[in-house]
Amino acid sequence: MTEKKEKCADCAPTLTDSQVLEFCKQGYLLFKGVVPDEINRMTTKYCDQDDNSEPTGLLEKDWFIDNVILNREVAGAVRSLLGRDFHLPILISNHRMMAPYSQQNWHVDGNFDFGHELNYLQVFYYPQDTPLEMGPTQILPGSHLVRNKARFMAHLGGIAGTVSATAPAGSIFITAYQIWHRRGPATSEGRRNMLKYFYWRTTPPLRDWFVEEDFDFATVDYTSPIEPLVEQFHSDIKVAKMFLWLCGEYDKFQNLGGQSWPLPANRNDIPYGFPERLPRPASD
Amino acid sequence: MTEKQSEITEELASKLEAGTLTVDELHRGIDALLPQAGEKRQDILYLQCNNTSLQGEVIGMTMIEDGQLSEGPPDPKDWPYKTVLEAVDDGWRIISFPNMALLAVSESDPHGLGFEFILERFKDR
Repeated sequence: MTEKKEKCADCAPTLTDSQVLEFCKQGYLLFKGVVPDEINRMTTKYCDQDDNSEPTGLLEKDWFIDNVILNREVAGAVRSLLGRDFHLPILISNHRMMAPYSQQNWHVDGNFDFGHELNYLQVFYYPQDTPLEMGPTQILPGSHLVRNKARFMAHLGGIAGTVSATAPAGSIFITAYQIWHRRGPATSEGRRNMLKYFYWRTTPPLRDWFVEEDFDFATVDYTSPIEPLVEQFHSDIKVAKMFLWLCGEYDKFQNLGGQSWPLPANRNDIPYGFPERLPRPASD
Repeated sequence: MTEKQSEITEELASKLEAGTLTVDELHRGIDALLPQAGEKRQDILYLQCNNTSLQGEVIGMTMIEDGQLSEGPPDPKDWPYKTVLEAVDDGWRIISFPNMALLAVSESDPHGLGFEFILERFKDR
């Protein structure tokens, strides 16, 4: 299925237009229980033996590469978002905690970029069941579109719209690196491993995922869940820019202001300002 | 006025009416009514709103009450205050308003979590 080329890999993309757009809106995709139980057990056992914060030796294990790093569903999504010959992780971090524990401060990880480009992905893997009681990672959907700095976020607490990424063992979620997140509080007892690693883009963006015949750039909804927290329509514009960039169409983006594209609306015609050179579905 | 202050005031008034209040008792009563250094504890409430209005919707909260940090219930519907005005009505005093310097941030760049009010409330230790 997958061809490894030095530290790069290629495979078939699995996401559709709608799913790629959804990633642009949310800033993450969650794949529940995609890693086999046996691999989860082997990973947990490995982490018990190599319990430091960077068990990078996992990347030398074929069973880990084949079932986690190149997991069919996840690698297909990574391929969709980062293009062919994406660069594989070179480091594994383990946020290994013994519950109970309190929540972390909200933060964005260091060396971030809040632009519309998506040149890398941060990925989280739970090898054990991670219900609410085990302190799953909390994410603020859409916050990858809202500039912030970790040291300005330490006093933040409850935030409307927060999602706790509760998931069964073998779940993986991929994120836009700059998304606001933190470790949630754990009230149960036991060990939680949470492995983090990174993929990079090595080729220019291109709409070579599953193209939906009826997908219409002119009328799809670009609204992000972060919309209530920011100036009206700013997140729509950010999402549209990000999606067009991923499609390799960023040079066509334009915003003519007011009620023009890409704002959501019930219009009586093609949105004013819709870039003419963007693809449209074939008419019946 | 706190419950304790009410008790002291009532006692002083009763003794005054009965004609039994002494000068020493009056001095001690007044001293007891005056706030003493270290007797009050400051509670702090951060409320992030979706606009600068006191009636704007609260979208984020952190409370430090009796020295304990709280983020409120997980569901925002259950947070104690839906607006800053509700918190003010409940006795909180605003000590910091949203920083208008945020207007200077790039026009096209959403920045940070909303408009932040910081409030305080003093309680007896």
